[in-house]
Amino acid sequence: MTITRRRTLALMGGTVAAGALAAPAIASGTKTVVGALRLTSHAASFVAEQRGYFTDAGMDAELRFFDAAQPMAVAIASGDVDFGITAMTGALISLADKGAVRVIGGALQEEPGVDGQKILVSDAAFQNGITEPAMLAGKKWAVTQAGSSFHYMGSKMAQGEGIELQFTPLQKVGAIIGAMKSGQVDGWAIVPHIAKALAGSGAVHMIGDVADYLPNYQVTTVFTSARNTTDEAAKTRDFMAVFAKGVADFNAALVDKTQGEQARDDMVRLIHNYVYTDRPYEAAAPSILNGAMRLNGDGALNMASLRDQLAWFQAEDLVDDAITLDTIVNTDFAPQMS
Amino acid sequence: MADPVPFRGGGFAPKAKRGIGAAVFIALIALVEWGTATGVISSLTLPRPSDVLAEFVSLYQSGRLWDHLLPSLSRLAVGAAFGVTAGVLIGFAIGLFSYARAGLVPLVAAIFPIPKIALLPLFVIWFGIDEASKYALIAFGTFTPTVVATYGAVDNVDRTLIRMGQSFGLSWFSIVRKIVLPGAMPGILSGLRISLAIAIILLVAAEMLGAQTGVGAYILEAGSLYDLERLFAGVAILSVLGVSVSFVIGRVERRLLRWRG
Repeated sequence: MTITRRRTLALMGGTVAAGALAAPAIASGTKTVVGALRLTSHAASFVAEQRGYFTDAGMDAELRFFDAAQPMAVAIASGDVDFGITAMTGALISLADKGAVRVIGGALQEEPGVDGQKILVSDAAFQNGITEPAMLAGKKWAVTQAGSSFHYMGSKMAQGEGIELQFTPLQKVGAIIGAMKSGQVDGWAIVPHIAKALAGSGAVHMIGDVADYLPNYQVTTVFTSARNTTDEAAKTRDFMAVFAKGVADFNAALVDKTQGEQARDDMVRLIHNYVYTDRPYEAAAPSILNGAMRLNGDGALNMASLRDQLAWFQAEDLVDDAITLDTIVNTDFAPQMS
Repeated sequence: MADPVPFRGGGFAPKAKRGIGAAVFIALIALVEWGTATGVISSLTLPRPSDVLAEFVSLYQSGRLWDHLLPSLSRLAVGAAFGVTAGVLIGFAIGLFSYARAGLVPLVAAIFPIPKIALLPLFVIWFGIDEASKYALIAFGTFTPTVVATYGAVDNVDRTLIRMGQSFGLSWFSIVRKIVLPGAMPGILSGLRISLAIAIILLVAAEMLGAQTGVGAYILEAGSLYDLERLFAGVAILSVLGVSVSFVIGRVERRLLRWRG
């Protein structure tokens, strides 16, 4: 048989057809894509993947990593990602209002007795005598963007102290750290492991706790596309069950510390597979331990905190006044905290 | 006798057609309005034009429009004034003096392709987080295209006119003032259209760091809130700004280039 052009084309066509026929068989187990950031606060998803909880529940899950919460929210709205964890930002509320996403559970939370987010001042401001949050009146408070959690924390602190702050948007956490070190901005609030690392270098000083102004602040929430809460409710329930197992392991090992040192080290090692991967274990371990804040058991929702956050967004004219908490949160998948 | 050759001239000369530009805008906006009203286009994809207009009206009525527009206009004016002035001066130097050309053309070619946004953190360290770094970014962004347009325009001045001036015994300074400057003006002004459009683009970048008000800050805030109505209202302001700048340059061209007849 000679190889003619026609035969070659027929062969190519046959190969393509065979590939197309084979494809559905591979894709039949529906894939669940879980969005995550490389932060300790996303540990529940890491635990679930490493300890095979997704597989045990019959889920074919894949973690997809993002640099920031904002693109993750948009990816969930577009259907590229199924589940994600992020703060209740203005973008999340707007996307929920447009019927794209729903908050279905709680994740990171401030809790009395657990080291939480810190209020920082730059060294320059500290040298000028700003040693308490109230003394930041009229000073520059760093935020990534309007409506970010940094904006919320600063605003609530200012409200509590009865002062005014100048909110200075710097887009990225890296830019904020640079501006804090060079004294271009005065105050900021951030998760404890970053705060402690910065304070250790002497570039900034810790002058207060966010929890003093926002006790039980629900920092991050679990969210998914609106379609997953209606058409794929079973999958969403499965995910929350797996997530809750990951949360329980994490809390027991690092927050409540009920399982001894071995379990603690195992957990840190597991998280180190995802977080601070560019550092050796010895250097990463303290940061991971410092970043361990309470994740809500069973993914419980702190509705009071979420209600307060929504009210703040509306008072600041960042989102539409007509939005209610019911349009944002679907309470069918996780218990509520009283 | 052969047939007369038919007339084949004409064409290739754009004529002014009134209202076509506006009609294209209106047709596009009407299409989007229809699509969003009937649900063919989801509210996640594009905002409804009438909602964007309502957002703009509320922005105007609450007075916040001026809170955002005035700082942006002053940043544009100061930054572009510095950048364009320096650019025209350096461009003339390159066009007139061989040493300046040999020394500066490679330098300009080296800094032209640098994304000015990438240097923003550096500018913040050099000039601080307040207005100066924003002026610097816009000035730097408008500088290089102005230089390139200016020395290109000086190079394109008709050499025969310069030779004629020399034959009539004009001084060097007279030739520059009476022949080179007017002769380069068309090229400089068309370069200015590009430079000022770049200035408007950079406005959003300049207001990324530390700006509480400004059209760019307004757009960035809308983006971070995924508020499409505000986003498009802000983008529309930039577009109107671009059209106004283009219109003003058109007027200036008409006035300065009357000698072309």
